[in-house]
Amino acid sequence: MKIFFYKALLIFIFFLLAFHFSFNYAVRIVKQELNNNISKEKVESIKLKIKNEMKTAINKENFIKPDDAILINKFLDKIKSDLEKRN
Amino acid sequence: MKLNYNKHKNSIFLIFFYFLVFFITFLNINDYGIHIEEKFHRLNGLFWVNYIFDLLGLNNLAEISQTKIDQIYDYTLNRPSYYNKYGVVLDLPVAFLEIFLSIDDVNKIYTLKHLLSFLIFLISSIFFYKLLLSRYNFFLSFVGVAIFIFSPRIFGDSFLYKDVLFLSFVTITIYYFNKSINIFNYRNIILLSLFSSLSVNLRFFAIIIPFLFIFTSFIKKDNLNNITDFCKKISFYILFFIFFLIIFWPYLWSDPLNNFLNLFKNLSRDLVDVKILYNNEFISNRLLPNTYILNWIAITTPVLQFISFFLGFIFCFLRLIKRFINIKEKSIYNDFWRGKNEETDFIIFIIFISFYFLFIFFEAPLYNGWRLVYFFNIFITYFVIYFISIIFGKVKNIFTKRTLIFFSLIIVMININAVIKFHPFQSIYFNKFLSEKTVNGYEGDYYGMASKHFFKKILSKNDSDKIYVAVASHTPLQRGIEGLPAKDRKKFIIVGQEYQMADYIFKNNISEVNSRLNKKYEIPENFSKVYTFKVNKIIVYEIFKKELTR
Repeated sequence: MKIFFYKALLIFIFFLLAFHFSFNYAVRIVKQELNNNISKEKVESIKLKIKNEMKTAINKENFIKPDDAILINKFLDKIKSDLEKRN
Repeated sequence: MKLNYNKHKNSIFLIFFYFLVFFITFLNINDYGIHIEEKFHRLNGLFWVNYIFDLLGLNNLAEISQTKIDQIYDYTLNRPSYYNKYGVVLDLPVAFLEIFLSIDDVNKIYTLKHLLSFLIFLISSIFFYKLLLSRYNFFLSFVGVAIFIFSPRIFGDSFLYKDVLFLSFVTITIYYFNKSINIFNYRNIILLSLFSSLSVNLRFFAIIIPFLFIFTSFIKKDNLNNITDFCKKISFYILFFIFFLIIFWPYLWSDPLNNFLNLFKNLSRDLVDVKILYNNEFISNRLLPNTYILNWIAITTPVLQFISFFLGFIFCFLRLIKRFINIKEKSIYNDFWRGKNEETDFIIFIIFISFYFLFIFFEAPLYNGWRLVYFFNIFITYFVIYFISIIFGKVKNIFTKRTLIFFSLIIVMININAVIKFHPFQSIYFNKFLSEKTVNGYEGDYYGMASKHFFKKILSKNDSDKIYVAVASHTPLQRGIEGLPAKDRKKFIIVGQEYQMADYIFKNNISEVNSRLNKKYEIPENFSKVYTFKVNKIIVYEIFKKELTR
């Protein structure tokens, strides 16, 4: 009986340990990744970066290269014409 | 009557040692700053004093305490009625003293608290010494108690009546735990119930001590042979434990059961949820790595001490496994130990491992280093001595024995040296083998102990009547002003993160947000660094000054 009690206790502790260091560990890693990548702070910092880039763009004389400007223009025209066709 | 020197030389030596430690500390106690939670604890004490006076109908005294509460309260603090679960072991007696002795100078109140906290720590170390002496010889017990007292971070925090106060009460609890298991009588059980309830009062997680006591006394052979007596004594222990818990915790008086259960209910609200600087990264304190505690202990404990602790723990663990494998259904010995010495080792081991895994399993949201588990110092020191005693037992050669004595004294000397070198900032100690980058990649002065130093520095640089100070860290600097003489306090106006209003900015590496992403603690461009306060390689704080005149 006594040995059974101790063995049961040991198995229970090993089970807890195994659970913690496998399942719990994996869950924590996922949580950490989520916490690091989509935290409020991260979103705020991306917003701040975008705002800074926009400010830089406003201050530049030519923000978009002429080639890119032509390309974007053509692309927008294409979208516009496609949308008009649908109507 | 003639004193037999030879018979009492150990006691005389110990009395001299304690006198020296106390005397030197007493002379230097004013060097320590004000920590950021002093105000809260004063408020906590006065809040419960006020509650007791109200209860007893002592209206005049209740009025005095209420006036004091209103004077102390500031915007950086929650009302104590909101956060009323904190223990009152030291806060309440000091609040009584403050009122009955009419102490109004806040610095005197804090100094008194620092002194009492240190005294309790010293008294607890005597219990630790007695615990060691019941197991080892005088020399090893003395080395143990010296390591216990002079572990740099523990020594530094021993004045701050928070985590080391808990360490002190847990030490006394463990002493009576061991004594009760050894001699299972009513006197020891009452004392154990008293100190275990005081420990629970200070830190709720100490609630596992009663369970461990019941478990350990249950597996002891002598008790199993007389199960009626065992049940009687355990019931006695539980009753007294509950009795003392209620008596010493005014929070429980109005509705003991429900208020006690509320401790669990409000746990998620009361637990801190912040980002902490750990290994040069900001991580959430709710998602700490399993190695968090061990890593902190490793980097903030002198290397030799840590290695000895680690090896001592491994040796003890291996012996326990050996005992476990050899358990037989019928045996004249106890299952996990042979004799009194091994019994003490088992008790220390089981308490340590239970607490350690409790924190890991429940993913305890620790912060500010390992301060919440400073009571591990008991186990760290115990296993250091255990390791040294094992090596002592194995060597026969007199030269090797002397080398071992030298080794033990070296561990103590390293600690004393660190205590002197870091004075009065021992609580931010890191071991000297770490690089500057590493030590500054962990939380530094989380208690804001350096705020007094900061204000004095500013006063030496600026003699204006009004000095505006902003804070670029998660340190309520406002509270540190109390460390200054009254006339100087008025000169400072703390403007939080309103940097453009400030003449100076205080910065340390404590932040509740990821300050690399969140810019709330970013120093504006029109400020430049004028001073860096370093203790060894650790940057304690920096001062930035506005380049343009106001």
